[in-house]
Amino acid sequence: MKAKYLSLASRSMQNSLAYRVSFIVNMSASVFYILAMFFLWRAIYAHRTSLAGYSWNDMKAYLLVSFLSSTMLSWYSESRMSSRILDGSVAMELLKPIDFQAARLAETAGTTVFEGGVSAVLVTIVLIVYAGVMTPHSPAAWIAFILSFAVSVLIKFGVVYISSLFCFWTSSGFGVAWARAAITNLLSGALIPLAFFPPWLRATAYFLPFQGIVNAPASIYLGQATGAAVWGTLLVQVFWCVVLWFLGRFVWRFAVRKVTIFGG
Amino acid sequence: MRLILRAWRRNAYLYRRIMGQNLRAALEYQSDFLLSVGSAMLTQVLGLVFLGVVFSRIPTINGWGFWQIVFIYASIFLTEGFASLFFEGTWRIGYFVNHGELDRILLRPLSPAVQLLSSAIGMNGIGNLLVGGVMIGESLTHVHMVWTPGKILFSVILLLSGIVIRTSINFASNCSAFWVKNAGNAVPFMVHSISEFAKYPLTIYAPALQALVGIVVPYAFIGYVPAGYVFSTSGMAWIAVLCPLVALYCAAVAGLILRTGLRQYESTGN
Repeated sequence: MKAKYLSLASRSMQNSLAYRVSFIVNMSASVFYILAMFFLWRAIYAHRTSLAGYSWNDMKAYLLVSFLSSTMLSWYSESRMSSRILDGSVAMELLKPIDFQAARLAETAGTTVFEGGVSAVLVTIVLIVYAGVMTPHSPAAWIAFILSFAVSVLIKFGVVYISSLFCFWTSSGFGVAWARAAITNLLSGALIPLAFFPPWLRATAYFLPFQGIVNAPASIYLGQATGAAVWGTLLVQVFWCVVLWFLGRFVWRFAVRKVTIFGG
Repeated sequence: MRLILRAWRRNAYLYRRIMGQNLRAALEYQSDFLLSVGSAMLTQVLGLVFLGVVFSRIPTINGWGFWQIVFIYASIFLTEGFASLFFEGTWRIGYFVNHGELDRILLRPLSPAVQLLSSAIGMNGIGNLLVGGVMIGESLTHVHMVWTPGKILFSVILLLSGIVIRTSINFASNCSAFWVKNAGNAVPFMVHSISEFAKYPLTIYAPALQALVGIVVPYAFIGYVPAGYVFSTSGMAWIAVLCPLVALYCAAVAGLILRTGLRQYESTGN
């Protein structure tokens, strides 16, 4: 039972290894984005020590976590999911004795292992070369952060999977992916820490699953959540992860009725 | 001279006709059309929310106020909108080269550049045009300035230059497909992401990045330099004179790269 999903995952990892150059070049978009943000915030912090409770050092660490998160489950995994629906190969998937959602998760996991490896190397380099970036205070905080980060990737998978199911109703994957990215980037805290939001928007964001993607792991990394709050943060993340998984199943049940396949 | 003029007029006429067909095809898929326009607008508006949230806590960044940065930010999106709506074909050059489809284009009695540029239409461009236009309009009304006919005329020239620069860079980077014979050619995407830096004032960056965005891939001449002229930022107004020249330079380089690429194009082997 598990063997087939494992082999899907390893295939997908080998695939991303085979196209490693384009993978790494594609990552450049995230690198440029985070560099632009770095210099923007540096200019902002040039004349002040603290903004919305964030010091310049906090902000650098926050950007690092946000960058890490953006390299996980990148464009490649997202477009692979939606293109299966758009080009009709989902019909072949329906014939196979595998669960569509679990198969997509397996593929995504395979690619993410590669992406995670590359980002881990990048981040290590940044931490060594640019010694000013702070790290979690204790080994326990490191472990909590890594756990939280792993769950954040699963939440992102849940969001991306559901949004790609919308491709059953439209025939353009770009529009869906752009809208998805825009909403996720704002509400997860990838654009700006949630603490900067006006109170009503912050409250809304905390109530939604997206904050589990960047805000939750970042708050553990920065030491804003300590002790029991760490467990609370992790629990909320796991909660959303499970909810999104079943929501995905629910949407799938409606979506799959829309399958229309061209002849030939 | 008259011959050249006639050729240009013919190109323009055919361009209009081809784009008209593209538009009709795109409108067949109404929900796609609305979705791509809507998502482009959403991306921009949320970017604006980001700026708004930042500026609700600080007055200026390196001397630039909220509406001035909105102007720079919106210029990047506005020119992107023009480039997608009218010249989306640049992004298909790789497809034409890799699939040997370029053969068809080369056989037709019409300039390959015109055919490539008009090979697609990006309806999301409408969303970028709308929001970008409104944002620029808003930013101009919120900052006090004196408009003279000369200034208006030159601002239009700056906008046109920006569109030419944007399209030429897209075109040139996509022509890399002539050399990088790989379906997942990432060069155009990478060059395009450099425009990320051009959304904010150039002075916030380290010198190497300033050189990258100001000279190597001159995205700075789309938003930052025009903003310096329009808002009469001290010591920057004269640099704007360079914008049309940079536009001509970019177009010439793009044309040169296309010609070099075509000369060594050897089609696919089927």
